[in-house]
Amino acid sequence: MTVTLQKKICMLGGFSVGKTSLVKRFVASVFSESYLTTVGVKIDKKTVELSDRTVNLILWDLAGEDEISSLRMTYLRGAAGYVLVADGTRPSTLEVALSLRRRVEADFGPLPFVLLLNKNDLRKEWTIRDEEIDRLKQDGWWVRSTSARTGEGVDDAFGTLAEQLAR
Amino acid sequence: MSASAAAKLEWLAGPFSDDPGIDRKALAGLLVELARNLEPQFGSEPNGVRPIDPRLEQLRTLLVGPEIEMLSRLSEVIEDPEQLAVAVGRILPAAIAQVSNDGRLGDVLAPALEKATQSSIRSDPRTLLNILYPLIVPAIRKSIVETIDETFQSLNEALRHSLTWRGLRWRWEAWRTGTSFADVVLKHTLVYQVEHVFLIHHHTGLLISHVAAEDAAGQDPQLVSSMLVAIQDFVRDSFSGAEHQGLDTARLGELWLWSEPGPIATLVAVIRGNPPEGLHETLREVLSRIHDERRHALESFDGDSSGFADVDANLRKCVALGQRASEFAARRFPWFVALVGLILLAFAGAAGWWWWQDEQAWEHARQLTAAKQRIWDRYVAQLRAEPGVVITEAGQRDGKFVVAGLRDPLAVDPQLLLRQAEIDPSGVVSRWQLYEGLEPAFVLKRLQASLDLPPSVTLAVEGNHIVARGSAASTWIERARTAGRMLPAGGPSLDLSRLHDINEGAIGKLSEAIQSHEIHFNFNESLPAPGQDAILDQLAKELTELASLASSLHVTARVMLTGHSDDAGNGTFNLSLSAARAEAVRALLKKRGVDPDLLAVRGAGQFEPLEVASSEAARSANRRVSFKVAIEE
Repeated sequence: MTVTLQKKICMLGGFSVGKTSLVKRFVASVFSESYLTTVGVKIDKKTVELSDRTVNLILWDLAGEDEISSLRMTYLRGAAGYVLVADGTRPSTLEVALSLRRRVEADFGPLPFVLLLNKNDLRKEWTIRDEEIDRLKQDGWWVRSTSARTGEGVDDAFGTLAEQLAR
Repeated sequence: MSASAAAKLEWLAGPFSDDPGIDRKALAGLLVELARNLEPQFGSEPNGVRPIDPRLEQLRTLLVGPEIEMLSRLSEVIEDPEQLAVAVGRILPAAIAQVSNDGRLGDVLAPALEKATQSSIRSDPRTLLNILYPLIVPAIRKSIVETIDETFQSLNEALRHSLTWRGLRWRWEAWRTGTSFADVVLKHTLVYQVEHVFLIHHHTGLLISHVAAEDAAGQDPQLVSSMLVAIQDFVRDSFSGAEHQGLDTARLGELWLWSEPGPIATLVAVIRGNPPEGLHETLREVLSRIHDERRHALESFDGDSSGFADVDANLRKCVALGQRASEFAARRFPWFVALVGLILLAFAGAAGWWWWQDEQAWEHARQLTAAKQRIWDRYVAQLRAEPGVVITEAGQRDGKFVVAGLRDPLAVDPQLLLRQAEIDPSGVVSRWQLYEGLEPAFVLKRLQASLDLPPSVTLAVEGNHIVARGSAASTWIERARTAGRMLPAGGPSLDLSRLHDINEGAIGKLSEAIQSHEIHFNFNESLPAPGQDAILDQLAKELTELASLASSLHVTARVMLTGHSDDAGNGTFNLSLSAARAEAVRALLKKRGVDPDLLAVRGAGQFEPLEVASSEAARSANRRVSFKVAIEE
């Protein structure tokens, strides 16, 4: 019998970075997107099959926030890890992601996370420099380039996170 | 360092202790062995071991001097409570943090903490109250609200159904089962089914366990549970005043969502229909049981929900909860048909009972009447047999017995007979006309009553005659003869022929003898003339005999002594002289032993002369006292 784990994962990122699109495209979704604007959170599940166990990532997609201060931190309570999403074409979203990470770290301590640089399909328009990404990787970050449109790197990103959490 | 060095020197200079811990012989052997390694020719045996050897102590100091110094410092710390407290205090938090996962720490600390709490409460209860206040108040408030909700629910339903036909049926059911009307109303109106039960980990919002009813549809429970927690958080964050509470009830059409928060996990039930408020309590009990049984597993929950099979079983009990309308319809006993049947049976039974009672009463009355009639008939027959009673009418009228007829006054008293027959006189009307009966027995009775029968006479009925026997004075016989002649013709006659007249016997002869005597007097003398003592003696003898004879015959004898005078002189004087002469004779007779009561005296004066003549001889004969004997019964 394979062990099935559940893990709460929060999707964090600036406004319009494509979090919701990522989820919408690759995740079994049952709730309507209007939840985001009403309740401020939408919950989806991503099942990741590992070699010895199944991990159900319960994804809490929080409403996109530009103002970090307005982020409902209570939604992060109990999260096993989180996914930071930034738009590769807009460096400011990386800044938002970095500050979100600091905020989470301050409130909840170090948690496993993965940084997704979205809109990889628009790689030519990327304004985030590779050096910057390399620097983050050197700091021990898991950084993945993904594309909500093509699905590139998405499964890999969730798989990486699931593996970390299931350890 | 100088202090410790000095201590070392002091230790060296001190008296050599006779340390029993050192086997000096073995040590000496060891030293010899060492020496032999250096110089094989060294003597093979230690030659003599001194009990105290300062060199050994020197050797010890050289070998373990620093350790000894350290040990002495440590023992100093351990033996001084102040220093020890400081030392332990430095590592205590770290030590506790180290073993915080060990359950034993809690077990060990619990009693001390309990005592501490108790003493804190004793010294100032407000401290603990202030700590608990934020927890207690919302809990109490919630409990009160739920109780009020429950009451209102019950009241509302009861009011809504109180006056309908169905309401009346439920009232009957309440009466039959001994429950309150409100409970019955709730039982019927609160049709519900628990469709889903989620046990959700508070902190992570992850699903620990989920059980759904067989036919219940629903989304992925893991997502639902997280969403539920998210919504709870949302409500809690969005509205002030709800920081410590969650969303406990939500309703969407027919669906209810009830949430019961626990310390670690929340129980959420999705209920279809109209659940009773009392279900909150049931859910809370299940939640509390789960917490009691699996607290440790819940605390360490990290997303692995395997191993919560027993929790599933608990939740399944919740899902089994429900109140189905169809169940009641199927189980319903046709109470109304039964009731109508029962009422009809009761009426029939009552009618039968009344009829039977009536019959019994009638029968009883009949028996009683018959018994009364028998007694009455017996009484009438007895009365009819009585002499002197003629019954002309006997029967019943207006519920009373009636008897009428003729009755001789000497006949038996009908009222007396009535009492003897034990008949209530108030139930009897009697009318009697008096008459004189001619039965010999009654004639006899009447004669007895009127004739003043002397004891020596008996009357008896012989055929159609009444015969008198015995003896009686002639006066009585004469009176009886008169009475006999007065008897009605055709009736019994009085036969006096068997009766002896006592005057004709010895007493008659004696009376004649007495009456033949006379006592004579001289002129104008009230004492008898001399020479009559013999006559007086004879008289006295006869009178005494008369008295005794009368007594033996049960008759009364009376002797009248009548004094007489001659016709010379005044008439009035002659009357008193004659009375005096009678008195004198009575005195003389009394003197001779005659009972004076036997003797009566009277003076007749000159009016009853023996001889009516004016000669001296006639006058002398008239001066006398005469005797007259009367025998009375």
